[in-house]
Amino acid sequence: MTRETRVMLEYADDPAQKTLEGYRENGGYQALEKALREMSPDQVTAEVETSGLRGRGGAGFPTGRKWRFVPKTDKPKYLAVNADESEPGTCKDRQIMERDPHQLIEGSLLSCYAFGAKTAYIYVRGEYPHSIKALEDAIDEARAANLLGDKILGTDFCCDVWVHPGAGAYICGEETALLTSLEGNRGYPRIRPPFPAVEGLWHCPTIVNNVETIACVTHIIKRGGEWFSKLGCEGSTGTRLFCVSGHVKRPGVYEFECGKFTLRELIEGFCGGTLSGRPLKGVMPGGSSMPVLRADELDVTFDIESVQKAGSSLGSGAIMVFDDSVGAVGAAVNIAEFYSHESCGQCTPCREGSDWVRRMLLQFAAQDARDGDLDLLMDVTDKMDGTTICALAEALVWPVQSFVRKFRSEFEAAVRESAVGTATQ
Amino acid sequence: MSFSPELVGQVENLWTRYPEKKAALIPAMHLIQKERDGWFSNETIVDTAELFGVPDMHVRGIVGFYDMFHATPVGRHVVRLCKTLTCKLCGAGELIKHVSTKYGVKNGETTADGRFTFKLFECLGHCTTAPMMLVDEEKHESLDIEALDGVLEGLK
Ligand SMILES: Cc1cc2nc3c(=O)[nH]c(=O)nc-3n(C[C@H](O)[C@H](O)[C@H](O)COP(=O)(O)O)c2cc1C
Ligand code: SF4
Ligand code: FES
Repeated sequence: MTRETRVMLEYADDPAQKTLEGYRENGGYQALEKALREMSPDQVTAEVETSGLRGRGGAGFPTGRKWRFVPKTDKPKYLAVNADESEPGTCKDRQIMERDPHQLIEGSLLSCYAFGAKTAYIYVRGEYPHSIKALEDAIDEARAANLLGDKILGTDFCCDVWVHPGAGAYICGEETALLTSLEGNRGYPRIRPPFPAVEGLWHCPTIVNNVETIACVTHIIKRGGEWFSKLGCEGSTGTRLFCVSGHVKRPGVYEFECGKFTLRELIEGFCGGTLSGRPLKGVMPGGSSMPVLRADELDVTFDIESVQKAGSSLGSGAIMVFDDSVGAVGAAVNIAEFYSHESCGQCTPCREGSDWVRRMLLQFAAQDARDGDLDLLMDVTDKMDGTTICALAEALVWPVQSFVRKFRSEFEAAVRESAVGTATQ
Repeated sequence: MSFSPELVGQVENLWTRYPEKKAALIPAMHLIQKERDGWFSNETIVDTAELFGVPDMHVRGIVGFYDMFHATPVGRHVVRLCKTLTCKLCGAGELIKHVSTKYGVKNGETTADGRFTFKLFECLGHCTTAPMMLVDEEKHESLDIEALDGVLEGLK
């Protein structure tokens, strides 16, 4: 059965949880006390490794392993918390920042302690004024209580946490673009290697982790890596936040253990099926940058590996549901418009290709397509895949190609209709 | 024209957070845009560049790259309506049409009375309560035409 397991959102419905007092009443900052007084930095990292925590930003990279890439040098080290949350369909990090911000601050301090950073920047998308305000208030309270700043809780650990607002550019969620932007530039992704863990902000080692990833660290240190590893299933341990949106009866942000139910049970059971009562048509299970699954493909166990085997991905935890009133061509147009607008323009295949794909899809939508256009569309998108600096190009290619493959007849019908249109002119 | 002492104080405070001043540029530009009527005129760009000791062109590039900075004058309010997939599935298309017929503005335009500038934005992170719009810093969720009119007509 699909049911929620609340760890990060356990106290989210309590307005007092936003305040330091409320947070502490529910055990807040105990993990920090424990780490600073009883654990070495290495033990904190080891605990995160034991937990099996994988990044919640989209790529699912093991967090402990990423932290181990930080070289032992005298250079300053940084944590950049990725709160740019802009993948269409995603609104989970906001829940943490606005309803329980201290768990993010505590997690940031614990992470900094683990890999030797003294400064954390939380890069929040500019369109989130409420998140920015909630975090700033929480940071002020924590600073006044000596939970951050100099000699935290009377120990030798010094660490600052700052909120850094972005200004409306999806690409700044890509980790290297985030760093370029944080340094005061246009958000251009950088070629890797070097990876940020080795050379990030101001050429110093920098760990970039998603908000939810860092929030998990708080609970891992508080209750143990072993405890966390027993939640969920192998390869998808712990709990995860999922944003179910679109044509469902009960949209919302929910916290689940993976591996306990299928995607169909989640959508047709827990979320009540489609709002209109019409048949389901498709689901994008991990944000709009991931391949779509058709209604007949939803009997897949809901965890990272199973969804991957089914040809898609849990991505950023955004589950977008649509019923059969939605046309595949129209959906593909909307997606292509998004990614072509957000391309930073550095790489030719992405800059030119994304706009070309957008225009081609508009022709399908306007029934102004020709024989061969579908092949051309697939060819252009193939050439964008794997030829660019960052994965934004693929974020357009994968969903668009999946719509064509899975709803091919609709695209072919558009070509046929176009021919009729021309014949009657 | 120089910036107000309050603003300069705030920016100096921001500088203490980073090893290099330039990193405070985008956070500072939010404050600057607010003080300078919501947009970056040529003069404001030059002033900002001077304050930060960076070339004018650098500030110009930032204004052009980031959707929240404006290179042309805006109305008294900025209305940002989401046009991305989920909001579209939940009726944003009708709202966009309604705004253009009833208020006479398309994406990027300002109403004749200067009340608001209308901007179509990509996903605003409130997809579970779509469709969604931000009016300045206030959010309005689960919109329909009536609710939208209620908000827009109430703007001063
Ligand atoms: C185009 C693009 C956009 C991205 N946007 C975000 C985002 O908004 N938030 C996020 O946490 N990660 C985003 N990512 C993933 C980050 O690059 C990075 O993998 C992640 O922040 C690492 O954190 P994690 O290991 O905790 O998941 C994006 C990646 C790409 C290619
Ligand atoms: S793939 Fe696109 S978004 Fe990424 S660096 Fe190249 S042009 Fe920019
Ligand atoms: S799609 Fe509109 S808020 Fe996300």
